[in-house]
Amino acid sequence: MGQIEIRNLTFAYKKGADILKDISLSVAPNESVGLVGANGAGKSTLLKVLVGLNMGFSGSVMIDSVPVEKKTLAGIRQKTGYVFQDSDSQLFMTTVGEDVAFGPRNYGLSESEVRARTDAALAETGITHLKDRTIMKLSGGEKKLASIATILSMEPEILLLDEPSITLDPRNRRNIINILNRIQATKIIASHDLDMIMDICSRTILMAGGKIIADGPTDQILRDRELLEGNSLELPLRLQSGSR
Amino acid sequence: MRGTMKNKSPMSKISSAITEIQRIEDLQKRDQWLNRIHPLVKLACTCFYIVCLVSFHPYDIQGVLSMGLYPLILFMAGDLSITDCLRRVRIVLPLVCLIGLFNPIFDRTPMLLFGFVVRAGFVSMLTLILKGVFAVLSSYILIASTSIENLCYAMSLLHLPGILITEILLIYRYVGLLLSETERITQAYSLRAPGQKGVHFKVWGSLAGQLLLRSMDRANDVFDSMSLRGYSSDFRYIKQYVRWRPSDIIYLALWCAVFLFLRNFPLLLLVGSLFI
Ligand SMILES: Nc1ncnc2c1ncn2[C@@H]1O[C@H](COP(=O)(O)OP(=O)(O)O)[C@@H](O)[C@H]1O
Ligand SMILES: [Mg+2]
Repeated sequence: MGQIEIRNLTFAYKKGADILKDISLSVAPNESVGLVGANGAGKSTLLKVLVGLNMGFSGSVMIDSVPVEKKTLAGIRQKTGYVFQDSDSQLFMTTVGEDVAFGPRNYGLSESEVRARTDAALAETGITHLKDRTIMKLSGGEKKLASIATILSMEPEILLLDEPSITLDPRNRRNIINILNRIQATKIIASHDLDMIMDICSRTILMAGGKIIADGPTDQILRDRELLEGNSLELPLRLQSGSR
Repeated sequence: MRGTMKNKSPMSKISSAITEIQRIEDLQKRDQWLNRIHPLVKLACTCFYIVCLVSFHPYDIQGVLSMGLYPLILFMAGDLSITDCLRRVRIVLPLVCLIGLFNPIFDRTPMLLFGFVVRAGFVSMLTLILKGVFAVLSSYILIASTSIENLCYAMSLLHLPGILITEILLIYRYVGLLLSETERITQAYSLRAPGQKGVHFKVWGSLAGQLLLRSMDRANDVFDSMSLRGYSSDFRYIKQYVRWRPSDIIYLALWCAVFLFLRNFPLLLLVGSLFI
């Protein structure tokens, strides 16, 4: 499973200033969705609603038919992984291995299961060699991989990623794209990196001013120069050279 | 006036602080009998020790000295390095010693100590210093053998409010954040103030303000990240790793008996009288 259903979602951090306005969308299990839009469009805010970090919304948000509410949060968070934009916010233990083990351990798995999950997540992200390293001394790319590993160890059915490729060099970026493509889960990726969205997501949702402006096949939306430029975005690089 | 360390750059100092935290955590993770004792037992034992220690009469230096038995035995049996410990607590120890410094000036009554006539204030100063040092050592033993999660779990068993426990855990995590933010800010500063040693005192204020705001934001995010991965202040998950064993009760009972004995019978004098 890993199905998301949002109906008429409206959310404000402060009363009267709605950040998300009447959003409705549904995401099928194992679907990969790109969430694009200018800075401040509300992408991060929407992702945080899904894991219950932004409560007090109106409308309904359901994950596998379970509404996101205070008393369902534990279950929802167990199957929904959220990768922060800033890895330093995500990681808080001293070593990589400890941080990756934190989630499974908290959900009461046996110590051998925790170890197996940790090793699997480290292998999946290709950072087994970083297991005992101090997090604060890692490079940005290594931290991002570690962040993803901390979520993979919980074996989430839904993966929410906030700007995963920002601050990464081309090699690390390519690495992350390959890893994300290998993972079987429902994925929502918020990003400005339209080339990455093209490589991972079959569907793209364009947001502006807290509303959904367009929702359809990636191929269609990311080729629509007028639509993108009208929303402070540019065509993916690979589509620019030919059409210029 | 320039404000930073003389021979070490701020970065290497922060780096070594991080390494130091890592070393202590390595100690906490050792597979050792002391590490395996239930955290609540160790916490209770340490608290009871400190209460007994502090309750000695200011002139009862023999009594306080005999309480040194507890850290002595645990340092040896727990395979802890006393030199590492002293190096780590070197900032606290002088403060502890400072407290009693004026006693000899105010309290000049003559007194007999190990056969010598000395000022009573001198005796009470020594007693106070010993109490302080022993309290620090016993706390170090607790910390070097118990992870912060287990300590917080012990506190939750005592039904301390969850918000307080989370706060303690966050502050611990926050130390790391604070260090890395400091590193970032001093780096950014020194790049724009080349050739300058340390941070000029005129910008201390604004740098500190920046630091506070940034790391508060971060602490907030970290708390979110912890809760997203199942953290809750009742530590239900630790219950399956930390179990009560009969040896826990024996450990606690034994030490409590020892402390009570030392508190009520002058061990050193008794031992001494055997030889005289
Ligand atoms: N914690 C917050 N408190 C108040 N306003 C916020 C908060 N987080 C974001 N916002 C505001 O919400 C709007 C949408 O932000 P965000 O969801 O981060 O956009 P995006 O991720 O698309 O760049 C912005 O105008 C931003 O200023
Ligand atoms: Mg954002």
